[in-house]
Amino acid sequence: MKLLVPVKRVVDYNVKIRVNPDGSGVETSNVKMSMNPFDEIALEEAVRMKEKGVASEIVAVSIGTQQAKETLRTALALGADRAILVDATSDPKQDIEPLSVAKILAKIVAEEKPDLVIAGKQAIDNDMNATGQMLAGLLGWGQATFASAIEISGGSATVTREIDGGLQILKVALPAVITTDLRLNEPRYISLPSIMKAKKKPLEEKTLADLGVDLTPRLRIVHTDEPKQRSAGMRVGSVDELIDKLKNEAGVLS
Amino acid sequence: MYLNEMQAQVRETAQAFADEVIRPAAEALDREERFPSEIYDEMAKVGLFGVGVPESLGGPGFDTLTYAVVMEELSRGYASIADQCGLVELISTLLVRHGTERQTGMLPEILAMKRKVAYCITEPEAGTDVSGIRTTAEKDGDGWVLNGGKIWIHNAPVADTGFVLARTDKAAGNRGMSIFIVDLHAQGVERGPKEHKMGQRASQVGGLSFSDVRLGPDALLGEAGRGFHMMMSVLDKGRVGIAALATGIAQAGLEAAVEYAGVRKQFDKKISEFQGVQWLLADMAKDIEAARLLVHSAAVKIDQGLDATKACSMAKCFAGDMAVARTSDAVQVFGGSGYIRGFEVERLYRDAKITQIYEGTNQIQRMIIARELMKKGARA
Repeated sequence: MKLLVPVKRVVDYNVKIRVNPDGSGVETSNVKMSMNPFDEIALEEAVRMKEKGVASEIVAVSIGTQQAKETLRTALALGADRAILVDATSDPKQDIEPLSVAKILAKIVAEEKPDLVIAGKQAIDNDMNATGQMLAGLLGWGQATFASAIEISGGSATVTREIDGGLQILKVALPAVITTDLRLNEPRYISLPSIMKAKKKPLEEKTLADLGVDLTPRLRIVHTDEPKQRSAGMRVGSVDELIDKLKNEAGVLS
Repeated sequence: MYLNEMQAQVRETAQAFADEVIRPAAEALDREERFPSEIYDEMAKVGLFGVGVPESLGGPGFDTLTYAVVMEELSRGYASIADQCGLVELISTLLVRHGTERQTGMLPEILAMKRKVAYCITEPEAGTDVSGIRTTAEKDGDGWVLNGGKIWIHNAPVADTGFVLARTDKAAGNRGMSIFIVDLHAQGVERGPKEHKMGQRASQVGGLSFSDVRLGPDALLGEAGRGFHMMMSVLDKGRVGIAALATGIAQAGLEAAVEYAGVRKQFDKKISEFQGVQWLLADMAKDIEAARLLVHSAAVKIDQGLDATKACSMAKCFAGDMAVARTSDAVQVFGGSGYIRGFEVERLYRDAKITQIYEGTNQIQRMIIARELMKKGARA
């Protein structure tokens, strides 16, 4: 079984996010970037499938600037066999929206013919949570999102999904798209020997022209704002004072 | 940053491992003075032992700069654990350079921590001056018979295999010493009690005595009579490793001090707003960075095959002295709390002291630096 794992280069989850002065987005220059944590979980799951003998090949794909090669080499060190960079832009600030990403991935799927696409449920930069679903739609494949457990047998995947009321178990026929939730697995530390070995694994580059996908955006970012600062609390002297403030200042009691 | 992409990746892995696995365990390991096998097993899985061992012999095959980066990060977690990594690195380097095919065959076990090693040089009468060793190996048939004793040997209470420096020719001075690979479970080997140390307490240190220990023909590492020179040939790398370890201890102290200064309030102000505290933090940060650059420059010299003796001694000496001075500053930032057991900086200060002593005292490092200056001039 062949697996395709899309990986996105995002601002590292440890970085304190700063909004650009002009409100056009968040600061990405001179900021530590790393693989989207949900994609890391997707890749870890793929590697475990390969180790169990369920999968035979893992292809990682990233769409973005040349810098995304770093993310792909991390993917190779984590256990992907091959990597594909879709060189989509030279502007690190350009955001490629989910539908465009899904269209590009659909082209890659048509070329690579994987049996399963495992993707992170969302990227931690824009939190769109849409690419996996759109890709399944474009391909006409089944989809199972927010997976917390995946079992492959006899041409289908049994996927446990975390939903509000508890756990939902789905069975999808392969080929399919599965997106991963936080509790699916805990990615391993990249080992030093695998970092060295990753250097020798193939990393192929494609351009948008190769794939014939148009990136014209359909969404417009109106403004990006920092979360409001919490104002300081206050001490009240008595219950009466508290009730008075709730009634007359906060207006939550009448 | 001047680290290449792979070196940066290695640092990220070592950093995450130190933050998530090592640092949270350090306080208990220090208190219990315990050998952390479970952490070493995990480290072995991540390939953090034998950083420089070539791929053909089961390692990742990284350069000395990468090794220094790993040592600093691990030590930032806990120096005892970095020191285990340093020990494995030295033994592996000796084996890679001088071992027969059969001897290098033990490398995968050593890197997996399934075979624990000890580097047995020091004796009561031979510390800094190694030529004073009295342990002897006498030729006997096709093998040798080992007699004598070693003290302050890292891993002695737990090790499976010792790399033992012994005299094979009494008249030949530095050319009369050899290194033997000794099974420490063999008859005639006795282990002394574990020493209770000021710091780096998870490192198990003790004595070993050898009485009529029979060694086979395979036990000799490299050539007979070349033991001293083989030992000296890995000293540069050893010093870079300890210098990086010292830098990591100080870096942990800086991180703790910056965090504490940002939350501790006196006179209704964070203590980080007082200039006295700011100067302590600034001095710590600049000296740590200076030590790190000395370490990296010495490592790069080794990697480029340049004469690295002076650079390695400068790095080791500066980083060791810096670690003691700057962890003392970290204690100072914490005030009374910093003197209390259980606060990280109290341990860091104790852990730092030995970096001025082991792998060649800092007085010896100064002698080497001066000797190099006299020999090669001030510009070399």
